[in-house]
Amino acid sequence: MIWTLRLSSLSVQISRRAVLTATLLLSVLLMTALLALTLGSYPLRLADMQEILTGGGTAIQQMILLDHRMPRILTALGAGAAFGLSGAMFQTMMRNPLASPDVIGFNAGASCGALVAMMLTGGMVLPGAIAGALITAAVVTLLAWSRGLPPYRLILTGVGASLVLTAIGDLLISRMDAQTAADMAQWLIGTLNARSWSDVALVWGGLLLLAPALVWLQFPLTRLGMADDIATGLGMALSPLRLAVTGTGILLAALAVSTAGPLPFVAFAAGPIARRLIPNGRPVLLAAAASGALITLMADTAARAVPMIQLPAGVFTALIGAPVLIWLLLAQFRKGAL
Amino acid sequence: MTASTLTLPRQSRSGDLRLLWLGTALLALCLLSIAALSLGARATGWADIWGALTSYDPNKADHIVVRNMRLPRLIGAGLAGAALGMSGALIQAMTRNPLADPGLLGINGGAALGVVLCILVLGVTDPAEFIWVALGGGLAASVLVFLLGGGSQANPLRLILAGAAVSALFLALTRALLLVSRQTLDVYRFWVLGGFDGILPATLQSLLPFLILGALLAIIAGFGLNALMLGEDTAKGLGVRTGLTRLTAGAAIVLLCGATVAMAGPIAFAGLIVPHMARWAAGPAIGWSLAFSAVFGALLLIAADLLGRLALFGGNMQAGVMTALIGGPVLIWLVRRNGVRKL
Repeated sequence: MIWTLRLSSLSVQISRRAVLTATLLLSVLLMTALLALTLGSYPLRLADMQEILTGGGTAIQQMILLDHRMPRILTALGAGAAFGLSGAMFQTMMRNPLASPDVIGFNAGASCGALVAMMLTGGMVLPGAIAGALITAAVVTLLAWSRGLPPYRLILTGVGASLVLTAIGDLLISRMDAQTAADMAQWLIGTLNARSWSDVALVWGGLLLLAPALVWLQFPLTRLGMADDIATGLGMALSPLRLAVTGTGILLAALAVSTAGPLPFVAFAAGPIARRLIPNGRPVLLAAAASGALITLMADTAARAVPMIQLPAGVFTALIGAPVLIWLLLAQFRKGAL
Repeated sequence: MTASTLTLPRQSRSGDLRLLWLGTALLALCLLSIAALSLGARATGWADIWGALTSYDPNKADHIVVRNMRLPRLIGAGLAGAALGMSGALIQAMTRNPLADPGLLGINGGAALGVVLCILVLGVTDPAEFIWVALGGGLAASVLVFLLGGGSQANPLRLILAGAAVSALFLALTRALLLVSRQTLDVYRFWVLGGFDGILPATLQSLLPFLILGALLAIIAGFGLNALMLGEDTAKGLGVRTGLTRLTAGAAIVLLCGATVAMAGPIAFAGLIVPHMARWAAGPAIGWSLAFSAVFGALLLIAADLLGRLALFGGNMQAGVMTALIGGPVLIWLVRRNGVRKL
């Protein structure tokens, strides 16, 4: 069923299933976020939430909710959404669910950048990660470019870059003292421990800045998912569009990595999940953002739920993402899509 | 039409040239070996090298360095290079995939996960004891990759993707496990570099049977693979038992790679680059390609080890990192040059 919205000469067609799916996803997301606010070693009741938010409650309750859980959860949501958006953009454009930024080397680039920064300055992990992701993405894109951006070249180049960067990262880790190496091992799998409001501002501010580009890109992006000749036949200039999508996707990935670390498989898993929810040929970005946010939040909440040890969220996104990956590969192969 | 007539024109034209090439490569191998024995923090002269090899005197510092440190290292690098080269040639011929490589197909990732589990659960810290877990992990991962990748029917892209996916999964699990224990991280982070530091003659001895068996199986599989490269149906028509050939080749690959990982840790890309060099010098016939791959592989790893030991990172760069630094650009160049064209 299709709804048509008209505003004088403009009209937009919206499928009812897409609206329903988005509503459902957002409500699940909201409920999970509320649940995550109450869970933890210091339980808070949902009933007290409003009181604490309006300035009531004890000082400890205030601190727990406002200084610890809210920034952490909001950062998880923002970073997860950025991962999901970035993954879905690359996957749709390349018509291949394996072309997500974490598979084609951006995460490895961010990790390597963070390690180099740590080696050189003893800190500066975040700027290093962003620079690493951006440089890797630029180099991989340039190397794969050949009158356009053929998917298989991008994927293979990314896989090659990923292997080299991982080897360099391993080398750097072996040169660090044991304490720094352990700290970096924690960072390298992605964690949301001890996030503050500045992280929230960073990730949501970035998302806000990129929002116009996303809104503008989502419709041509859907058509990029069709065969080249069809898209060209529809009058699309493929290469500039691909470049715009790549640029935005890279910025989103860098944003996500800089606030949550290179969480494995979030960018990868969010797209396919969104695609299952949204009917074919419809813009998938919003659902991908919501899926990414949900995966990240669930993983982080699970990580917080383990008592005694501070497990990073990345352990759990790997546990969620890996089965999705296997399932997807098998499904794709069975269909003969690869 | 038989297999030999199909490949004959090229063979007959360049048969002598190939022998010449092989001779040159072997000569280079000898020279490089002598260099590897003599160069280092303490340069050693001809007389001392010869003395250390023929009349070993445990009281001479030069003899000890050559015999106990440089020689095992040289032999280790040579064997590992030959094994990786041969297994790369086999994988590329079997899958008809110019980008196939034991590391890209998940063997390194699986071996790494096995090793981490071994350190974590069994508390083993001596790399010499990683042999079986590295073999097991590598075997498990490669079976997974081949199943996901569609086995021998897979197209190159599909196989690489399955390998990358499984490697990513295993890397994430490995990193997760490393967070649990600081001790595990401390052992693992040196093992994962892949190299020949402190390799022991005893380790070499215990792995030699695996390598020899692997090489023999590789040669046996080579006969069938030559026909198989003409296509499944043609090979069957020629009377080749394709299933048995693939099984033999698979066993050879696992033995050669597993023993190498156990000896030197995960070494990236050697299995990818070397067969290309070999085919460039020797043409597509699998027998020649195997021989050249073994020699070129030994050359590459001895050179990588020597270079890392002498020049880079203050003389402290593992061979595994060296091959990754060389191999990554080569892979990207191959992709740029001819995409994923089938062999």
